[in-house]
Amino acid sequence: MNAAPRQLGDETSPEDLAEARAELRAIARGLLGKTRVPAAPGWGLMASSGWLGLEVPPALDGAGATFAEVAVIAEELGRAVARGSYLGSAVLGVGTLRELARHPATDDLLRRTAAGDAVPAAVLVPGGSAGGRHGGGVPFWLARTADGLRLNGQAVFVPDAAEATTLLVLARAVDDGAPVIVELDPQAAGIVIEPQPVLDETRRLAMVRAEGAEIATESVRRFAGDPRATVRRLLDRAAVAVACDSLGLSEAMLDATVGYARVREQFGRPVGSFQAVKHACADMLIRVRVARELVAAAVTALAGDPAGIGTVDLSPADVSTAASMAKAYACEAAVEVAGKAMQLHGGIGYTWESGIHLYLKRAALNRSLFGAPAAHRRRLAERYK
Amino acid sequence: MTSPARDLEEFRASVRAWCRAHVPVGWRAAQTGIPDAEYVAFQQWWFAELRAAGYAVPHWPAEWGGGMPLARQVVLYSELAAHDAPRLVLAFVAIHHAAATLLAAGTDEQRRRHLPAILDGETWVQGFSEPEAGSDLAALRTTARRDGDRYIVNGQKLWASGALQADWCLLLARTDPDAPKRRGISYFLLDMRSPGIDVRPIKNAVGESHFCEIFLSDVAVPAAGLVGPENGGWRVAQETLGAERGLTMLELAERLGNAGFRWLVAACSRQGLLDDSLVTDRLAALETELTALRGLCRGLVERHEAGRAGPADASIVKLYYSELLQRMTDFGTEIAGLSAHAVLRKPASSGWESGAWMLDFIGSWEWTIPGGTSEIQRTIIAERGLGLPREPA
Repeated sequence: MNAAPRQLGDETSPEDLAEARAELRAIARGLLGKTRVPAAPGWGLMASSGWLGLEVPPALDGAGATFAEVAVIAEELGRAVARGSYLGSAVLGVGTLRELARHPATDDLLRRTAAGDAVPAAVLVPGGSAGGRHGGGVPFWLARTADGLRLNGQAVFVPDAAEATTLLVLARAVDDGAPVIVELDPQAAGIVIEPQPVLDETRRLAMVRAEGAEIATESVRRFAGDPRATVRRLLDRAAVAVACDSLGLSEAMLDATVGYARVREQFGRPVGSFQAVKHACADMLIRVRVARELVAAAVTALAGDPAGIGTVDLSPADVSTAASMAKAYACEAAVEVAGKAMQLHGGIGYTWESGIHLYLKRAALNRSLFGAPAAHRRRLAERYK
Repeated sequence: MTSPARDLEEFRASVRAWCRAHVPVGWRAAQTGIPDAEYVAFQQWWFAELRAAGYAVPHWPAEWGGGMPLARQVVLYSELAAHDAPRLVLAFVAIHHAAATLLAAGTDEQRRRHLPAILDGETWVQGFSEPEAGSDLAALRTTARRDGDRYIVNGQKLWASGALQADWCLLLARTDPDAPKRRGISYFLLDMRSPGIDVRPIKNAVGESHFCEIFLSDVAVPAAGLVGPENGGWRVAQETLGAERGLTMLELAERLGNAGFRWLVAACSRQGLLDDSLVTDRLAALETELTALRGLCRGLVERHEAGRAGPADASIVKLYYSELLQRMTDFGTEIAGLSAHAVLRKPASSGWESGAWMLDFIGSWEWTIPGGTSEIQRTIIAERGLGLPREPA
C-alpha cells in the first residue's frame, strides 16, 4: 500500500496543513512503533512512505512538502530512536540539493533519492560538532593543477557518510573561494571514508577525507542563492532537525517514565503516587513543553509560512536565532529528561535490556551534533553588543 | 490587498503611536518613593487613559466595552511591554478576577451593577486565603450564616492584596459547616464599606504593605450578593483562579521578555560584562527561555479561547513564569553586584521586573507562593496533566 503523504497545493489552508501533518505523524508513529527499540525502518519502507522525498518537487516524483513535514519525521524517528540514514540523506542531502542551481544531474539525484535508489549524504562542517563553533568553516577546498581540478580536505563525524551512494561535499571554489557543493562518488580515487563507531549504536558517523581527488568540472555545483547565506541556512536546518530528534526522544522518555511510575509498586503503592516522583515527572513535562515551543517556532521559521497565517516574513538572522534557541534548549533538555527517565525507572532503568541507555546516548550525541548548546548561545549573544 | 497579518501590523503601528504619545516619560523615577495617595491617583489616571483608547478591558465581551480579537490583544500587551508602559495594578483584580467571576457566574443585575462601575474605577480585592487555609484553600473557616435576606459573615482573610484601597471584595465563606469541605463554600460580593470590616496591612518581605488582613465581625451581606448557588462557591472560585492565568500571564510574560530582558542586558553592559562568555551564556539561556515562555502564554490563551486547554496547561505556565522570574531577577542581582543592594525602593506601578533587581528578586516569591505554591502546581501537573495517581489519604 502506498502511504505517501498527500501533495499540498498553494491554496492549502492552515487547517488542511495541520491535518496533513497530523496524519503524517500518525502514520509514522504507527510504522515505527511496530518494532522493538531501536526501530530499524527499512529504506524501501521509508521510500514508499514518501519520507525520503518530502521536499522533492512533485515533478521529480516527490511530495512537494516543506521542512515542516521533514521535521515531523525527524521527531518521530527520535521518538523511536530509529536507525537509518534519514538525517544524512533526506534532511541534509535533499536540503543541500534543493539549494543548488537547477541541473539535470541534480534533478536526477533528487528523483532517485525520493525513490530510495540513491542515498546522498551532505558533508557540511569539518566536525560533526563544527569543532565546538557553529559553522566552523568550509571543510574542503578545490585547487587547479596542471592535471585539472583537485579536492582536498577532511571532515570527521559526518552523519551517514559511509552508507551514502553520493557525497555532497561543501568546498571552496577555485576562482572566488565561494562555498560550492562537489558531488562525489564515495568510491572515487583519492576519497577515504572510515566509519567512526560511537557509543550511540543508532547513529552512523564517518570520517571523510579527500587527498587530491580528481574532480570533473561538471561535478562542481553552485548554490542558486547567496552561498554564505545558504550554508548558514543549511546548518540551521541541520541543527533544527537534530533538535526535533531530541524533542521526540524526550517525549518518548517522559511517556515511558509516567507509564512505569503508574504501575511499578513499592511500599505497597505505585511509585508515581510519591510526591518526589510526581514532581520530577512534572519538571520533565515542563522541559518537554518548553522544548516543543522552541522547536515549533524554529521549524516554522525555516519552513516558511505557506498559508500566510503568521505575521511577517522572518529575516535570515531571525531564522538563525530561532534555530539556535531550539537546538541549545531541546538538546540539553533531552539529556536531562533521558537521565531523569533512567533515574525514575530505578534499577531496571540502568540495565541494557531496558533500552533507556539508547535514548540517553543518542540525546548526548545530539547535543554535540551541529553545534553544542554553548556554541549556539554564543551566536545568540553576539546580538547583545 | 488586506490580509490578517497586514491588518495586525497596522494595529501594531497604531498601538506604537499611541504608546509614544501617552506613556509618560520618566514615570519610574517619578513613581519611586511616593505616598499611597499619589500612587492611587496615578493608577486611576493611567486606567482612564487606557480606557479612552479602548485598551483597558480588551478581553471583556464587546457588549461591556471589550471585544478585541485575541490576536490584537497579544499585540497590545506586547507593545505596552515593549514601550515600558506602567502596569494596571490597582484595577488588576477588578478587570480580571471580578469581571471573570461576574461574566461566568454573576446575575444580570450583578453585571449591570459592577462591570460599568469597574470601568469608572471601582476596585476589588480577593478574599480567599486564611491563616489556616493556604495551599489547602478549601479548609477555609470564615462563616456566612443565612439570616433572612442576608448573610452574616465572621472570620479572617489573609494575603488580600490591595484591600486598603478596594471598594469591593470577592469573598469565599463557609455556608454549610457539615458538608464535605468543598461543598459547603459560597461565593459573595462584599461591599468593603460594610460595618464590621477591619483592614490591617501586613508588611511583606520586600517591605511593602499592599498585602492585608481582613477581619470580619458580624458583617452583613445581602443575599443578592451571592454569586452562583449557595454552597456552589468552590466551582465559581475555580473560574476566577482560571482568570489569573491566561491573559494575565501573557501580559507578565511580555513584560519579562521585553523591557525586563533589555534591562538585564543593559545591566550587564554597565558592568562591562558583555565580553564575559560566562555571563553572555546565561543571558542567552534566559532569552531562550523567555522566548519559550511568551510562546507558551500565547498558546495557552489561544487554546483557552478555542476550548482546547489541557487540564494542567495553566499550572505549567504559572510555574514556569514564576520560577523563570526568580532565576532572572536572581541573575540580575548577581550582575548588578553591590549596587543592587543600594536600591532601597522600587517604583510603584511597575511589574515584577522593575529593574530594582534585589527587590525584584525578593518580590519573586510573591509568584512562587501565592495562587498555588510551586509545590502544589507540580502536584497538579503530575496528577491532572500526566495522570499519576493521587497520594493515598
